[in-house]
Amino acid sequence: MKKFTLLTLILILLLSLILLRGNYIISLLYLCYVFIKTSFTQNSNILQIIDLPFIDNVSSVLLLFISLFVVVFSKSINKKLQQKINFINIVITLLLMCFLFAPIITVQHPDFQKNISVTKLLHPFSSVEYVRFKNENNPITEKDKLISLYNSVIYKPYDENIIFFDSSQTDTEFKCFQAGEEIVIDKSLLVTDGKEIKIYNKFFPLGTDEFGRDVFTRIIFGSRISLLVGFFAVLISFLLGIILAYIATQSGRLLNIVISRLTDLFLTVPAIFFVLLFLAFFGNNLISVILVLGFTGWMSLFKIAKSEMISVKQKEFFLTAKLIGLNKRELLIKEILPVIIVPVIVNLIFQFSNVILAESALSFLGLGTGNEYSSWGRMIQSGQRYLSEAWWLVIIPGLVLIITLLAINEAGRKL
Amino acid sequence: MKSELLKLFINRILTSILVLFLLITLVFILIRLAPGDPLQKFISPKLSPELATQVEKSFNLDKPIHIQYFSFLAKIFSGDFGVSYSYRTSVLTVIKNYFLFTLIFSTISFLLQFLIAFLIARFTFKNKDKLVDRITNRAAVVIYTIPSFVLGLFLVIVFSVSLNLFPTSGIESIHNDSVSVLQKIADHLYHLILPLITLTAAGSALFYRYLRDGFSQVSNMNFITSLRASGFSEKEIFNKHILPNAIQPLISVAGIEFGILMGGALITEVIFSLPGMGRLTVSAIINHDYPLVIGCTFIAGLIMIVANMIADLIKIKFDKRLTKELIE
Repeated sequence: MKKFTLLTLILILLLSLILLRGNYIISLLYLCYVFIKTSFTQNSNILQIIDLPFIDNVSSVLLLFISLFVVVFSKSINKKLQQKINFINIVITLLLMCFLFAPIITVQHPDFQKNISVTKLLHPFSSVEYVRFKNENNPITEKDKLISLYNSVIYKPYDENIIFFDSSQTDTEFKCFQAGEEIVIDKSLLVTDGKEIKIYNKFFPLGTDEFGRDVFTRIIFGSRISLLVGFFAVLISFLLGIILAYIATQSGRLLNIVISRLTDLFLTVPAIFFVLLFLAFFGNNLISVILVLGFTGWMSLFKIAKSEMISVKQKEFFLTAKLIGLNKRELLIKEILPVIIVPVIVNLIFQFSNVILAESALSFLGLGTGNEYSSWGRMIQSGQRYLSEAWWLVIIPGLVLIITLLAINEAGRKL
Repeated sequence: MKSELLKLFINRILTSILVLFLLITLVFILIRLAPGDPLQKFISPKLSPELATQVEKSFNLDKPIHIQYFSFLAKIFSGDFGVSYSYRTSVLTVIKNYFLFTLIFSTISFLLQFLIAFLIARFTFKNKDKLVDRITNRAAVVIYTIPSFVLGLFLVIVFSVSLNLFPTSGIESIHNDSVSVLQKIADHLYHLILPLITLTAAGSALFYRYLRDGFSQVSNMNFITSLRASGFSEKEIFNKHILPNAIQPLISVAGIEFGILMGGALITEVIFSLPGMGRLTVSAIINHDYPLVIGCTFIAGLIMIVANMIADLIKIKFDKRLTKELIE
């Protein structure tokens, strides 16, 4: 029997994503087709429908097909994925998939909320009934058609056409109840299934938060914040650490001493203190969190890179390269980096998990990436006010965070 | 030997002063760069312009920035941190109240971390390569990874909300005044059990990893084998030879850890709303209470440095050769 490899897992996940969400993918592709067609036939300004969600959705669908293609046909990647599955690569695969295909995996906008009195603080695995209004407006122009198609395909944080309710009654009119409040709706306005009014069911796999937003969706989108902050902060730390270490080893003694002493200074004071100070004084948002975490995380990398560079400096190949006349940048990129890359990468992986932890801790203290992004720490912070009513608001993002950190740390240790 | 130790001491004190000075300067620069004028808290629009300038003068804010900086430094190093904006009393008085709690709380936690790590490490070392050992090693990694705010909230959910065993926050019950001293202490301890677990878990896992690795590394060395061949008892070998050698890398880590703990167990204090240094610092930062921010920074930095120094001294006691290394 063939081994169950990582490749099989990825293929199963990708294919099941395509099969399960085929409906959505096809309607999105159709939207693209209509968009391109209209942009050729109409002169009016239709570029205005290109916004972030649109690009996000379309690019994830494209990425889905590209990654499927690459995984199957690229020989080198195919070979690399022929490894046994374990905890680390399962978690990392899932994280990457959440990051890349978040709009395809989820079935709604992360901030979607409607009829809070019915949908707030629902248990995991609960579902709510809702009815849908008929779509009344009939678009005439091509542009209106495109816009209504866009509105029906791309998920938005609101939807006027649906009403959630606890229970309902159908007589001559449709009556539904929301937390004791009665709402009467004309039958002719609602979507019907034959003669009966069609009652849909919305399923919340991980429950909802205090604003009736789906926790599952928010977790998936939260992975984007964590990975984004982690990636860019680590990139900044990497560039700073490597460049400073290179300057310290290649230039005179004085500069070396100054840089090294400064590093020691930053190492004695807990970085979290400066991070808090900076964010509280200068405002906290996604960019400032990335910058601050990047600028406070280069010290350990600097120490490692410096000690490695000192040993490289005396090696013959480096002296030869220097005598040939490579300039400083070429020396760094072509001669030093390939040699020291392994310890540096190990350090960067640990730094990555540190940054993810720091970002969620900052969000927990209310100094994170702000309200507009549903980061995991932010979810835990807002969930702690509902500890007695809704444990899942804290436990679920907490567990996701722990599993992520464990997988990344283990990956660093294995290398 | 003595002169070398003295040299180390002077060296350390000089660098510490430099570090503190740079730290304070950095904070000063950050505060001055920050948007918003701290003066606005004290000047109401109704105040006459003369009085407003008088207030400005009383804060030394009318002078050029470098003179402000030097008078600020002179004040700090003479121990005058000024008056807290939000508490309206001297910064040192505010810090004193909060520091006492942090001192007791963090010391208990630190000792517990050490004790738990040592006991478990000794136990698993004796049961080397057995199932208990492997499970504990894995568990230590997992526990170390759990962020303290997640652990704290999990504990609250399980023990306070579901089982209703422990209180969720604070350090004393409402009717705390009418009981005897012993009952008071018991009440405090009862309130501090969950915070202590939260604060101690990650630290003990870290210490455990260091101790356990140290034990197995040292026990594989040749001199242990030769001691064993000479017929010393296992107990004697462990207490007199393995332990002192294995504990060394732990001490520098413990020094840093202790310094951080004394600066305040920030997250734990926030979760359980405890009156400690960490929460004081955060609230000072968020309320833009600049004198208090500087006071907290200074105290935290000072303690970090002292803790590191003590750790170095303990290390020297175990291994005299380190003196030279540390001077360099």
